[in-house]
Amino acid sequence: MKVLVVDDFSTMRRIVKNLLRDLGFTNIQEADDGSTALPMLQGGDFDFVVTDWNMPGMQGIDLLKAIRADSSLAHIPVLLITAEAKKEQIVMAAQAGVNGYIVKPFTAATLKTKLDKIFERLG
Amino acid sequence: MSMSMMGRVSLEQAKSLVEFLETDQQEEADALIAEIQNPINSELFAEIGKLTRQLHDSLTNFNLDSRLNDLATAEIPDAKERLNYVITRTEEAANKTMDAVESIFPVVDKISDQVRAVNPAWAKLMNNEIDLKDFKSLCVDIDSLLITTGKETATIHSLMTDVLMAQDFQDLTGQVIRKVIDLVREVEDSLINMLTAFGISSDDVKGSAAPKVGDNLVEGPIVNTEDRDDVVEDQDDVDDLLSSLGF
Repeated sequence: MKVLVVDDFSTMRRIVKNLLRDLGFTNIQEADDGSTALPMLQGGDFDFVVTDWNMPGMQGIDLLKAIRADSSLAHIPVLLITAEAKKEQIVMAAQAGVNGYIVKPFTAATLKTKLDKIFERLG
Repeated sequence: MSMSMMGRVSLEQAKSLVEFLETDQQEEADALIAEIQNPINSELFAEIGKLTRQLHDSLTNFNLDSRLNDLATAEIPDAKERLNYVITRTEEAANKTMDAVESIFPVVDKISDQVRAVNPAWAKLMNNEIDLKDFKSLCVDIDSLLITTGKETATIHSLMTDVLMAQDFQDLTGQVIRKVIDLVREVEDSLINMLTAFGISSDDVKGSAAPKVGDNLVEGPIVNTEDRDDVVEDQDDVDDLLSSLGF
């Protein structure tokens, strides 16, 4: 399974990559914001996107909307891992079609639970 | 004649008045009468004098408040550098820690693989079921495991020391941030003093100037979740909110 990890902080990308690798995801690529991520997604056969919300350039919520608006990408599950904690934002992300929402700081166990749930739903 | 009446007009003034009238200087005489009837208020003069002095002092102090100048031209840029230092140090620490941890993972996996490899033969030995050939091979495997473990635990120990040492940023960044907090406090005091100099009490502006937290949608980490009712406190809150929406 090919995963794209999108975050402007390299340390956070590294943490998420390590956790994903521990959970058995070995094919992981990185992007530092939505505008870098979107062409990568359009160009490659990604199966899953993990993204931050607050990034310079294109933000995570806009990346999510762009993915849902693109018929070739719309099926890709998107997990938000973000420090954004306003209820308004969580509702907005849900309405935009997010598959999971994790607030930072988070634990490895939380990530595993959310991933299990996402892939269980997708069957 | 009472004392106060005596104070109203002086002998000199009376003589001048007579002189004006005798020499047909009607205008001067009228002016003198007016002056006598409306004595210039010396208290008012004194008050104006005091205010003038205060205003002068305030303006002088304002010019002399070079502290404000220092704050703007030197200390705030310095604070920006200090905060950048915090970003750099914490990033370095995170990377050093992850370097060490990423080096430890394969070492631990290697030991774990070797343990798994000797386990079946070891179980046979413990149950007295092992034959000589397997026993010999087990001895070789255990020998190799002991060598690996001995060598790699030393590696792990050294990497763990790296992880430990990478935490030294906490002390340094703590000191730097504390300095910046002091600076922010000083700027706040100076600004309040400035408001006071212009006769505006800080209470007057508190209400209108209170930052409207949450005006911007994207806010970053919320540091006072317990004071806010528009934010979630933890992952459980997120999950509850999402499930209440049917997700």
